[in-house]
Amino acid sequence: MRQKYSKEKKHRAGEIPTGSFSDIAFLLIIYFLVATTLLKVNTISADLPSGQKTPQARTDKTPTVKLNGPQILFNDKPVDLGELEARLAVLELAKAEGSKKVIMLESTSNTPYENYFHALAAISANGGVVALVEEDEK
Amino acid sequence: MSRKAQRNKRRKVSVPIASMGDIAFLLIIFFLVCSEVSKEKQNLKAKMPVSEHVDELEKTVAARVSIDQDGLIYLDGHLVENAKDVEWGVKALLANTVSDEQRHVLFKCDAQLPKEIFEPVLQAVAEAGGILQAVGTLPEN
Repeated sequence: MRQKYSKEKKHRAGEIPTGSFSDIAFLLIIYFLVATTLLKVNTISADLPSGQKTPQARTDKTPTVKLNGPQILFNDKPVDLGELEARLAVLELAKAEGSKKVIMLESTSNTPYENYFHALAAISANGGVVALVEEDEK
Repeated sequence: MSRKAQRNKRRKVSVPIASMGDIAFLLIIFFLVCSEVSKEKQNLKAKMPVSEHVDELEKTVAARVSIDQDGLIYLDGHLVENAKDVEWGVKALLANTVSDEQRHVLFKCDAQLPKEIFEPVLQAVAEAGGILQAVGTLPEN
């Protein structure tokens, strides 16, 4: 009896059932497709130079954009966003080299990020490098 | 003639599905290799500023900094206390970079936040050596 049983066992084929593999794989694909979100973000690029603040860092010739709340000042003259872009375009910052590309960006405490972003975008679009000006600690 | 037509009717057409599993697993491997797990803060409560100068970002970013409408700062989805934490975190993430292409830092901030909150973070990104990629939206036409 025991002999017969062992003989039967020897002949039994040990196949792995792979019939449902494709179903499992397609289910996984559907999961990935449903769970994936394709993110596309729109950005402006700005290379912000880092460095210590020195009195020599700011020269009279360096163009300055100052944001005072909703107001924009370019070299201490009030301008609107369109005018700022026109003034920056005149400077041909994309063709300039080194420190001539630098535009100082200064802002007062009540300036919202939206205005700051617009100024950053205008400077970057014209090929300028933004130097952030910190307010003096009093 | 009619016999032949009958024979044709009986012919069974089987679709070869033996390689379907292999194709499916290849597709899974493709998805796994190509997809990137998002490190951004999910459901950020912030309204992005609108500008016509924004372009679609095609570069890979090394770090993601977000500030929500409550002024809470997140670095790669984790809440941090202040701008100094952002500076150290971004510095650490940029430590092994070898080119400018690897220094892009994604920056999201609510449009109405005041300067006191966002400017120290921008300074921190600059100090850490990151190239700012400030997120905005295109105006709706």
